[in-house]
Amino acid sequence: MNARPLMRLRLTTAATEEIGPTPHGRLSIFPITGGSFEGERLRGIVLGGADWVTAAADGTFELDLRLTLETDDSALIHMTFTGVRDDTNRYFRTLPRFETAAPKYAFLNRLLAVGTGEAHRDGPVHTIEEIL
Amino acid sequence: MNTRLLMTLRVTVTTPQSIGAVPHGTRRTVPIAGGDFKGPRLRGSVLPGGSADWLLLRADGVLELDLRATLRTDDGALISMRSFGLRHGPPDVIEALARGEAVDPTAYYFRTTPRFETAHPAYAFLNHLITVASGDRRAEGPIYTIHELL
Repeated sequence: MNARPLMRLRLTTAATEEIGPTPHGRLSIFPITGGSFEGERLRGIVLGGADWVTAAADGTFELDLRLTLETDDSALIHMTFTGVRDDTNRYFRTLPRFETAAPKYAFLNRLLAVGTGEAHRDGPVHTIEEIL
Repeated sequence: MNTRLLMTLRVTVTTPQSIGAVPHGTRRTVPIAGGDFKGPRLRGSVLPGGSADWLLLRADGVLELDLRATLRTDDGALISMRSFGLRHGPPDVIEALARGEAVDPTAYYFRTTPRFETAHPAYAFLNHLITVASGDRRAEGPIYTIHELL
């Protein structure tokens, strides 16, 4: 499979909301207060969103994020992604998807992407590549 | 992006059900009659019951695929697979595909992101894998080359 860099996305999060054990596992909600993204074809800021994280019994986490991005030329992009975080195996991979009405960024509506996440002290950083 | 081959999945399809114009586009459901999969760590067949591809042709010409299939390994494990995908390309290529002609898969974009669920311990590694696939639409059904993201 071939891929090319799409963006590096940095997120800042607020205090976790611990919902606790649910039928699907332990649910925590990480509010996303902001952040930034940068790539060759687009850059801007994160307006906000959240990550719904479900901890499975085997210690892995399923991620489910929704965010709104704003490019430096004021286009809004709806971004969603699911992912898996498995700290035991150092595996943190995601499947981002994008929706936008801005013609300049319509290419985002037509692509599939994969991300590699890193947990940093000040919030997660996702390196996202377009699947060619 | 580092990947390794997980499997090649061949699916055979039957007569599509054209649902028609729905609020988000044009919907068509393609039942899956069977198929097989083969990779270094698993191989087996596709079960026809509960396997289909739910297609939505969007207003921007992009086809969204939502495939759900049940796989059975050669040692009897059942694996539930779901994959979201996109397919689009130049109009003449898409028309040739619709006519069932053989088309070079590099002439259009056909990518999916399969996820798997299984209760079988031997295949539990599939539960936490993110994978990507490239598709090759043949008249008898698509062939997916699925790679695990490392």
